[in-house]
Amino acid sequence: MTGPPIVDAGAVAGEAAAPGASGSRRHGKAKGRGRKQSRLFELRGSLPTSWRIGLAVLGLALVFGAWLLAAATLNGDSEVVPSPGETYHAFVDQWQQGNLWLDFKASTGRILYGYAISMAIGVVVGVAVGSLMSFESTVEAPIAFMRYVPATAMTPLLTVWLGIDEAPKITLIVLGTVFFNILMTADVARAVPRELIEASYTLGARRRTVLGRVVLRHSLPGIVDVARINLAAAWLILPISEVLAAQEGLAFRIDRAERFRNVDTMFALLIVFGIIGLASDLGLRWLRNATSPWATS
Amino acid sequence: MNHKLAVRELVKVFKGRRGSGDVVALGGVDVHVDKGELVSLVGTSGCGKSTLLRIVAGLADATSGDVLVDGEPVIGPGPDRGMVFQGYSLFPWLDVSENIAFGLRLAGTGKANRKARVDELLGIMGLTEHARRLPKELSGGMRQRVAIARALAPEPDVLLLDEPFGALDAHTRLSMHEFLRTVWRRTGATILLVTHDVDEAVYLSSRVYVMHAHPGRIVEEVTMTCDPDLGPAVKRSPEFLDVRDEIHGRLMQA
Repeated sequence: MTGPPIVDAGAVAGEAAAPGASGSRRHGKAKGRGRKQSRLFELRGSLPTSWRIGLAVLGLALVFGAWLLAAATLNGDSEVVPSPGETYHAFVDQWQQGNLWLDFKASTGRILYGYAISMAIGVVVGVAVGSLMSFESTVEAPIAFMRYVPATAMTPLLTVWLGIDEAPKITLIVLGTVFFNILMTADVARAVPRELIEASYTLGARRRTVLGRVVLRHSLPGIVDVARINLAAAWLILPISEVLAAQEGLAFRIDRAERFRNVDTMFALLIVFGIIGLASDLGLRWLRNATSPWATS
Repeated sequence: MNHKLAVRELVKVFKGRRGSGDVVALGGVDVHVDKGELVSLVGTSGCGKSTLLRIVAGLADATSGDVLVDGEPVIGPGPDRGMVFQGYSLFPWLDVSENIAFGLRLAGTGKANRKARVDELLGIMGLTEHARRLPKELSGGMRQRVAIARALAPEPDVLLLDEPFGALDAHTRLSMHEFLRTVWRRTGATILLVTHDVDEAVYLSSRVYVMHAHPGRIVEEVTMTCDPDLGPAVKRSPEFLDVRDEIHGRLMQA
């Protein structure tokens, strides 16, 4: 104890009274040095798992509650917000008609096809851009330019070039995501510590070996993260491609439902989008940790 | 005389940006290390000692001058000059054994020989029971032991140490000094150590080069005469203290 005795005595008394004592709380500030802070709102803090699960459930419950409330109050002469029950029936309906499975297959097929091409290009070009300044200087300007050309604005051009089948739809998904994939992958490759590359050289590795065994390997978890983050952009493009003379697809079906003002079908299909997105997000998180346990804390 | 490693009239000039002049990082440096010697380069930050080591490793080009290993000029990096960095140089996805085996794999060493060599080094480094651990599960001192083992695995002609203990806490650093002496004695390796820690240089080395900056140059070469069998006790001997004070004094003049 170094401070003046009077101050010290106050601090000790305040400390003793502070934890959980309702009396001191009612009087406002507890006495003592510093500011007592709640753990619930600790900046960058952590919470017990039970709290985290509880809060997650609370978040979902709030959204669901808002939905119930909206369905109960907003519908006048015509239905604007379907109830969860109606949405569920619309979902079952779509499933039994066989539409849902076809639409699901068509949409996810386009995404998988287009996004696989986009990621393949993104990894090859991105790692090269991030590792080789000669390559970076060559392609930097064209990529920066293309990134600002809205892919969706290229739809008419793609129909002229590629017709109205699957090719323009998949190309659109590639164009809408590939430049982001390249640039973000380049950043991941740039983050490989220089010491790792140099250590490899002093152990006898050639450049090609370093690129494959060190740069690419070190970048793998980051690349999976890039894939996960930009996958959302692929889904963002999908509806534009599906209004382009599609015969099936989730976004096409939502567009179709509008003609009959079937808001329950729209809701059901939008929820399907969300579930697919959530599942792919979790799947890619798992993939990251499974392939690179060393990169998880 | 044939030195294991000879650095002759080494000059390194970094081109200045527009408006500022060129920086002479090394202004004609001569250094040599004989077989089985442990030689240190000491100097303050920015004196060019790390630049010198990087040129010897082949990771940077010299502006002029030569680096010779067994009389042959160095033109690029290679496993004949193993290098240990200050930190963060272990492959984080490989466990201790795999890290040590990295250079052996590249050299195409067969599985049985590889395992024998790795096991031998694990033993020397006191890492046998940690062979399956990932770098992130190791302490700083252990990581540097793995880095030294990895550099030694392909049996380099010269081992280059670039402030290898600089990021360790004081206590760990002292135990690493004992460890390096043991390794040096058991392997007979030829070692060039770069450090700013005078005690470290004096305690570990058979010779010490003292460097000054602007331009980077050798201002003194001190040969140790302390009894190598004294161990840590030597640090209290008058000889040791004299040499240490002399080098400190020389560095102050910079």
